[in-house]
Amino acid sequence: MDLSSKKILICDDSILARKQLKDIISEHFKGIGVCEARNGTEAVEVYKEQRPDLVLLDIVMPQMDGNTAVSAIREFDPEASIIIVSSVGTQVQLRKALEAGAADFIQKPVETAQITKVILKHLS
Amino acid sequence: MFSQLLGSYLLRREAITTEQLTAALREMDRAHIRLGTLAIHKGYMIASEVDEVCFMQTREDKRFGEIAVERGYLTDEQVHDLLSSQTPDYLLLCQCLVDTGALSNSDLENYILEYQQENELCDMDLDDEQSEKIRQLIERFFLVAEIPVSDYSVMYMELLFNNLIRFIGDDFTPLTPIPCTEYPTNYCVSQSLHGRINCVSRIDIDENSAVHFASRLAREDFTEFDEYVQASLEDFMNLHNGLFIVNMSNEKSVELTLEPPTVETEDVLQLAPASFVIPIAYPFGTMHLIVSLFGDKQYHG
Repeated sequence: MDLSSKKILICDDSILARKQLKDIISEHFKGIGVCEARNGTEAVEVYKEQRPDLVLLDIVMPQMDGNTAVSAIREFDPEASIIIVSSVGTQVQLRKALEAGAADFIQKPVETAQITKVILKHLS
Repeated sequence: MFSQLLGSYLLRREAITTEQLTAALREMDRAHIRLGTLAIHKGYMIASEVDEVCFMQTREDKRFGEIAVERGYLTDEQVHDLLSSQTPDYLLLCQCLVDTGALSNSDLENYILEYQQENELCDMDLDDEQSEKIRQLIERFFLVAEIPVSDYSVMYMELLFNNLIRFIGDDFTPLTPIPCTEYPTNYCVSQSLHGRINCVSRIDIDENSAVHFASRLAREDFTEFDEYVQASLEDFMNLHNGLFIVNMSNEKSVELTLEPPTVETEDVLQLAPASFVIPIAYPFGTMHLIVSLFGDKQYHG
């Protein structure tokens, strides 16, 4: 499946976590565009500028957390596809993320098979 | 897990030095458990018999089991039993301590027996009862240092040791915890948990060890102390504390919140009264886990 016209926004305060997600995406989805943000505030700005097809978003971040960013992005674009990628996978967090408008939740540490499956599901 | 805590036990008993432990941990990567070690553990042979069979192996091109059966130290059934039995992880560490010259087979026999007796370990503990035994071991680990423990702190440490095994490697030994109010830092990352339990945990590590730590965590070959290496420490902290919060929610119905990790800028940390440091020795270096607990009676046990 050709996803080269698609773009994914990766938002995580860890440069290593962003790199690991980028590496998985570039290995499994050749040519797909990737943009990055380091916190929720940047994620909202980058989303408005670049209108990515999918957002992978951490929850625990400085300045603006993931759930607040989900609400802000969905307020700007109610159709935005946002996946939470977080180590804090409690029922409470899951409910908050889904209520804010996230489409899915992936528990860290990220498994390659899991992330590729979710990307395919939401971009195809 | 028994292996990691056995290392700590042997250091506490002054049976070995930190350097000998580090050498044995390095050896564990290439080593395989031998029949003689298993035979001592099962009580089928004594140390002098194992030494004798090992000596005969240098003269005869035969396997350990064959010679032991010929000499009447083992039966065929016992050899079969040893070959098919599960191996406790701490036995390989003992064997490597013998191979590197830190312990003799006779010392090994005694320490295995004492460690098993002190911790009430038997073969059954390898499966069903393992979790409870590990909890007891961790409680004892803290009590030796006269540090009060609670269910929560045991849960925290058990998960930490499991996460170290899972993400960094099982070749570590937690050294005896030290109560601490002041701590001079190398490179130190910190993260706070809030809610019914309040806790600040930190990892402090020197730059060279951090490069090895990051390489193992990310499964990449880092060569310098760069921003990826620095981020790896925050990632590990975040991952561990995140998983702890998930466990607390699922098992104790306690909801906690997590602050983003930060890098400590102070050269010397002033710690809350109920703080302790656990040095965790890996072959590549020693990292220090610093935990400060406050604000919850139950947490202090």
